[in-house]
Amino acid sequence: MTHPNPVPAIEITGLTKDFSLNLRGIKLRAVENLTLNIPEGQVFGLLGPNGSGKSTTIKIILGLLEPTVGECKVFGVSSVRVDSRLNVGYLPEAPYFYRYLSGSELVRFYGRICGVPRKRLDERVREVIDWVGLSAAAHRRVGTYSKGMLQRIGLAQALVHDPRLIILDEPTAGVDPVGSAEISELILKLKNQGKTVLITSHLLAQIEDICDRVAILDRGKLILEGAVNELVSMQNRQSLIVDSLPPAELEELRGWLAARGHALTAVEQPRTRLDQLFLSKVSRPQKGGEVK
Amino acid sequence: MSSATASTARTVPFSPGRLGIVAGNTFLEAVRQKLFNFLLLLAVALVASAQLFREFNFGSSELKFISDFGFGAMVFFGSTLTIAATAQLFFSEIENRTALTILAKPIWRTEFIFGKFLGVFAVVGVFCALTTLLLLALLYHRETALMTANPDAFENGRMIHYGDLVLMGVLQWLKFGVLAAITLLIASFSNTNLYTVVMGFFVLVICHLQYLARDAYGAVASLPLRLLVQLLGYVFPNFQVFNLADQIGIGEGIDSGIFLRVAGYALIYIAVIGGLAVYSFRNREI
Ligand SMILES: Nc1ncnc2c1ncn2[C@@H]1O[C@H](COP(=O)(O)OP(=O)(O)O)[C@@H](O)[C@H]1O
Ligand SMILES: [Mg+2]
Repeated sequence: MTHPNPVPAIEITGLTKDFSLNLRGIKLRAVENLTLNIPEGQVFGLLGPNGSGKSTTIKIILGLLEPTVGECKVFGVSSVRVDSRLNVGYLPEAPYFYRYLSGSELVRFYGRICGVPRKRLDERVREVIDWVGLSAAAHRRVGTYSKGMLQRIGLAQALVHDPRLIILDEPTAGVDPVGSAEISELILKLKNQGKTVLITSHLLAQIEDICDRVAILDRGKLILEGAVNELVSMQNRQSLIVDSLPPAELEELRGWLAARGHALTAVEQPRTRLDQLFLSKVSRPQKGGEVK
Repeated sequence: MSSATASTARTVPFSPGRLGIVAGNTFLEAVRQKLFNFLLLLAVALVASAQLFREFNFGSSELKFISDFGFGAMVFFGSTLTIAATAQLFFSEIENRTALTILAKPIWRTEFIFGKFLGVFAVVGVFCALTTLLLLALLYHRETALMTANPDAFENGRMIHYGDLVLMGVLQWLKFGVLAAITLLIASFSNTNLYTVVMGFFVLVICHLQYLARDAYGAVASLPLRLLVQLLGYVFPNFQVFNLADQIGIGEGIDSGIFLRVAGYALIYIAVIGGLAVYSFRNREI
C-alpha cells in the first residue's frame, strides 16, 4: 500500500510518562521509552492488559497529559499545541457524557466547540447520529442510554467535525457481542473512507479482525509491533478442510503424506468461534433500542 | 497574519465564541439540574418573614428591617449558591470525564475555565436579579400599605430609594463573581468537591472578616503579626467594601463614583483570580 501523505498520523518518539504518587517523590512509570509511528490510513491496534499504559499514551497524544520525556506529534504538530487536535476525534474509555443533554444536543455541542459551521451543523449532527444508528434515540436524554448506546453517541461526537484521525479507547469494553460487532463494522467503514483509526483493547481476538497493525504494551513497554497478518499467520503450516472423511481414507491420506516426507500433525473438527456462533443466532435489536 | 510556521497551516486563535458555548452549556446544566429550585425556597422564606414583621407592627422602621433582612438573606443564600454551584459544575466535568472529551477538542484551557466562570456568573446573576426583584416588590407593597395607614410619616413621599436597591443587587452579584473565581481557583488544583466547598467557605469568612483583623491588629500588634494582617488584606479581597451603606436603600443615596470604584475592584479581582485559576488548571493532569 502506498501512503499519499508522508507525514505519519501519529509519531511518538522516546516517550516516557511518570506519575508522582505522593509528595515524597515516589513515582509510577506508566509508559517507558515508547517509540511508535502510525501511518495515515491504517487501523492501528494498541493492545495490552489493564494498566499497561494504553490510556496514558492516548492522553498524551491528545495533549491531556504532558510527557515526562520524549515527544508526540499528530500530523506533524506537537501534541502540546491546541492546533494538533483540529483533525482528531476521541472516544474516551467508559465514557459518560452530559447526562442532561439529549443525544443530538450533545453532538451539536461538540460540533460547535469544534467549529463546525453553523449552516451545516444541524445537517451534520443528523448525519453522524444516523451513521452510528441512534436516530431513534436522538431526542432522549443521554442519561437514559445503555452502555452500547453511550459508546455509539461517543463515536458520533468524535466524528462530528469529520476528523482524519479517530482515537477510540476500549470502544467495545462492556458492550455485548452484537454491539461490539456493530462497532467493528463502523470502524471498518471508517477505514474504507480513508480515516486513520487508533483503537485500544485488552481483548485481542475482538480487534484482530479489524486492525492492519498492532502494538502490544506490557507494563508501559512496547513488546511487539507488526502487521497483523505477519504476526498471527504460521507461515510453515497449512490446514485443509475436507467434508467427512472416513477413517480408512484418512489412513490412506496419512500414508500418502508420509510417503512424501510430510507428517499429518493434527486432525480436528473445525469449530466456529463462539462469538460468531452467538452473532449468527441472536437477533440484532432495533438500532437505538426498542421504541414503544 | 503573523509569520506562520511551516507545519501549522491553521492555528487556533482564542475564541470568545467557544468560551460562550462552554458558558451556555454550564448554565444549561445548572438549569436542568434544578439548581434554581433553591430560589423558590428563598422566596418562601423572604415572604414568610416579611409577613412575620407585620405581626410585630414596627411601623415605618419595619421597611428598614425588611430591606436589611432581605439583603442578609441574599448574601447568605447567594454565597452558598455560588460556592456550591461553582464546585458542583466544575467537578461534574471532572468526575463524569466530560472534561476529557471537551479538552481533547481544539479548545484552550483558558476558554474552558472562563467559560465555566461565566456560566456560574450567569446563574448567580439570575439569582441576584430575582431576589432583588422580589425584595423590591415586597418593599413597595409594604410601603404603599404603610403610606395609606400612616400618611404623616411619609409627607416627603416614598422613603425607599429603589434605584439604590438595584445598585446594591448588582454589587452583590459582582461580589459573588469574585467568590466564584476564588472557588474555581481552589477547584482547579483540588481533588474533591467537598474539599473545594469547605475551603471556599473558609476563604469567604476571611474575605468578610479580614477588615476586623486589620482594625484590631493594625495598630497595636507586634510587627510580624501586623505584616501578616496587611498581607492578608492584599491577597484576599475585602468583601466589606461591597456594603456601601449601613441602611440599605434608605437614608443617604449611593454615590455613583464609589459604586463604579467598587465595581472596578470586583472586576480586577475576578480577572486576576481567574487568571491564576487558568494557570493552575493548565498544569492539572486530567
Ligand atoms: N492520573 C494518574 N495518577 C497516577 N497513576 C496513574 C494515573 N493514570 C494512570 N495511572 C497508572 O498508570 C498505569 C497505566 O494506566 P493506563 O494508561 O490507564 O492503563 P491501561 O489504559 O492500559 O489500562 C496504571 O498503573 C495506572 O494505575
Ligand atoms: Mg485504559
